[in-house]
Amino acid sequence: MSTANDVPLLSLRGLGKRFGAVEALVDVDLDVYAHEVVALVGDNGAGKSTVAKMISGVLTPDTGLIEIDGETVTIPTPIAAHALGIATVFQELALADNLDVTSNLFLGRELHRGRVRDDETMEQIARKVLRDLNSRIPSVKSPLSTLSKGQRQSVAIARTLIGRPRIVVLDEPTAALSVSQTAEVLTHIERLRDLGLGVVLISHNMNDVRAVSDRIIVLRHGRNNGEFDAATVSHEAILAAITGAPPTRELDPTAFLPTPH
Amino acid sequence: MTTDLNPAPAAPPGAQARVPLGQRMAGLGGNARQYGIFGALVVIVLLFQVLTDGKLLLANNVAALFQQNAYVMILAIGMVMVIVAGHIDLSVGSVVAFVGGIVAVSMRDMGLPWLVAVLLGLAVGGVVGAWQGYWVAYVGIPAFIVTLAGMLIFRGLALVIVGETVAGLPSQFIAISKGSLPNFLGYANNMDVVTILIGVLAIGAIVVSQVRARRSLRKHELYVEPVGLFATKLALVAIGIGVLTVILSFSAGGTPTVLVIVGVLIVAYTFLMGRTVFGRHIYAIGGNRLAASLSGVDTRRVDFWIFVNMGVLAGAAAIVTTARAGAAIASAGQNFELDAIAACFIGGAAVTGGIGRISGAIVGALIMGVLNMGLSILSVDPSWQMAIKGLVLLFAVAFDLINKRRAGTR
Ligand SMILES: Nc1ncnc2c1ncn2[C@@H]1O[C@H](COP(=O)(O)OP(=O)(O)O)[C@@H](O)[C@H]1O
Ligand SMILES: [Mg+2]
Repeated sequence: MSTANDVPLLSLRGLGKRFGAVEALVDVDLDVYAHEVVALVGDNGAGKSTVAKMISGVLTPDTGLIEIDGETVTIPTPIAAHALGIATVFQELALADNLDVTSNLFLGRELHRGRVRDDETMEQIARKVLRDLNSRIPSVKSPLSTLSKGQRQSVAIARTLIGRPRIVVLDEPTAALSVSQTAEVLTHIERLRDLGLGVVLISHNMNDVRAVSDRIIVLRHGRNNGEFDAATVSHEAILAAITGAPPTRELDPTAFLPTPH
Repeated sequence: MTTDLNPAPAAPPGAQARVPLGQRMAGLGGNARQYGIFGALVVIVLLFQVLTDGKLLLANNVAALFQQNAYVMILAIGMVMVIVAGHIDLSVGSVVAFVGGIVAVSMRDMGLPWLVAVLLGLAVGGVVGAWQGYWVAYVGIPAFIVTLAGMLIFRGLALVIVGETVAGLPSQFIAISKGSLPNFLGYANNMDVVTILIGVLAIGAIVVSQVRARRSLRKHELYVEPVGLFATKLALVAIGIGVLTVILSFSAGGTPTVLVIVGVLIVAYTFLMGRTVFGRHIYAIGGNRLAASLSGVDTRRVDFWIFVNMGVLAGAAAIVTTARAGAAIASAGQNFELDAIAACFIGGAAVTGGIGRISGAIVGALIMGVLNMGLSILSVDPSWQMAIKGLVLLFAVAFDLINKRRAGTR
């Protein structure tokens, strides 16, 4: 899956962000290529959501650069992110319970002719997108309040496919889900990769991460703390990087492949 | 009605001519609530028709019902948008007095033509709305506080402008509220032909638009209600409008001008809320403000324009109120905000935002209006009228809430 010679789809260079006295991110680097799932892991408060929000135009970095196809971009708003082909599933599910599935899929980017919404076209696209994801949503007209947690998560992921994005960021998409729902979401994520997108999967569930990701990047206290090949790395090595404990090398020394930047 | 809201069984999203049962019931539950409000209106009308020995539905009383309650309906349209977005506006009564004062003074003391004065009133309303919208949307002060302040500010300014009653207003201005459409087509069997024509056109427009909407749903294999239910619904609406038309055509003036104004506003705002991007964003903000903003909805801009709109409609209500009174007084519009808010909640708007319809708010306003008129015809003491209306508001919302709980939705 490695396309290391190409220019990354998305690349973060030396990102920094402060919230008052809190240094949420310091000098963070991250590359994502097409056809790739990059897992971004770390303990609570490590800065994962902050990275997601900067990629998706909710927060702007204090320092550092964001590049898309090797060109520096600024992403001042979620609309700008969408225009750049970036779609995000936020940790705090950004869905409106009182609206139906189609309305949620197109929220903030409704199709319209003049000032009138083009509901028919939106519904047709909605059905196609759900079909592409093999999603189990009863109807594109179902109000979100009638769906299960897993179905909502499917809607949130389907939302990312509206407008043909190239980069999808998912912030803790399985956090509140049951085992079978989680499996479904992970399948969705693999579908996104198969569709040729670059995916950033944020999680602190090691099983999920190892199940679908190609590379694993660890954040600790807002800094890069190791990068691993998901196919070969050991559970312990990742945990060690997340917690800062020395890795228990005797278990699987070859699996630990930190890549300096 | 109890509905089963367990996750519906899996179905391929593509083949969707049929919707799982749970889904269908849930959809019906939402509509059932809407039908319930209409049903309540019909029951209340029939009740008072009996209690008043048939006086309630006398032609001139029905015309007066619309003339007396036009202001509530106009305000309720703006208020339901404010409430759906999760805000409240306590200032509209004071704004009515303030704008009414400006409009009256501009005609009497500055000699502005009545039409210019009307436009001035709407513009001033818009500026008031922009002022309040700015504090709510861009400074982030809760609307409750901003409009509570506005209630004081604009009542005070109304007192400044309207020291004493400003009377002697042009007759064309007064005709906005007291006049009727000219019956230039004459009478047939004592019935005003213009009124009949409007009624027929309204029924025709509703039938055509509903049938079209249904056809388009079918074309795209989306769920449509059973044809029997659809036809019954349409027939009931047609009969309702038909009866109203016939009654009004016997009234002294035929169709009251304000009814036409209110009718146009209802159609325009139903379209705005139901079919435009702006309308969708209002519902989204009320449903989940954070989600809307993360999705790229400019929530501040939407909030701002909701209040500008409320201001303009308060201006319209001021014009209607001043025209009806034939004069501006500083105490005009007392409690109007409460009437409008009550109409919205009786009409099914949710206190938490995100839910509410223009049609519901209008029906809510009519329920209050019919109560007012019926109790007045029965010469019930005004203090008791107030107490009864309060109880109706409480029971309407309680009934709605209990229904929702039983249905299993939040
Ligand atoms: N809006 C904010 N204001 C202040 N501090 C914040 C804000 N967002 C995040 N932080 C802080 O930044 C750090 C990183 O947070 P976050 O990115 O949410 O971590 P994670 O998603 O990895 O759990 C935490 O210490 C958190 O308290
Ligand atoms: Mg987080």
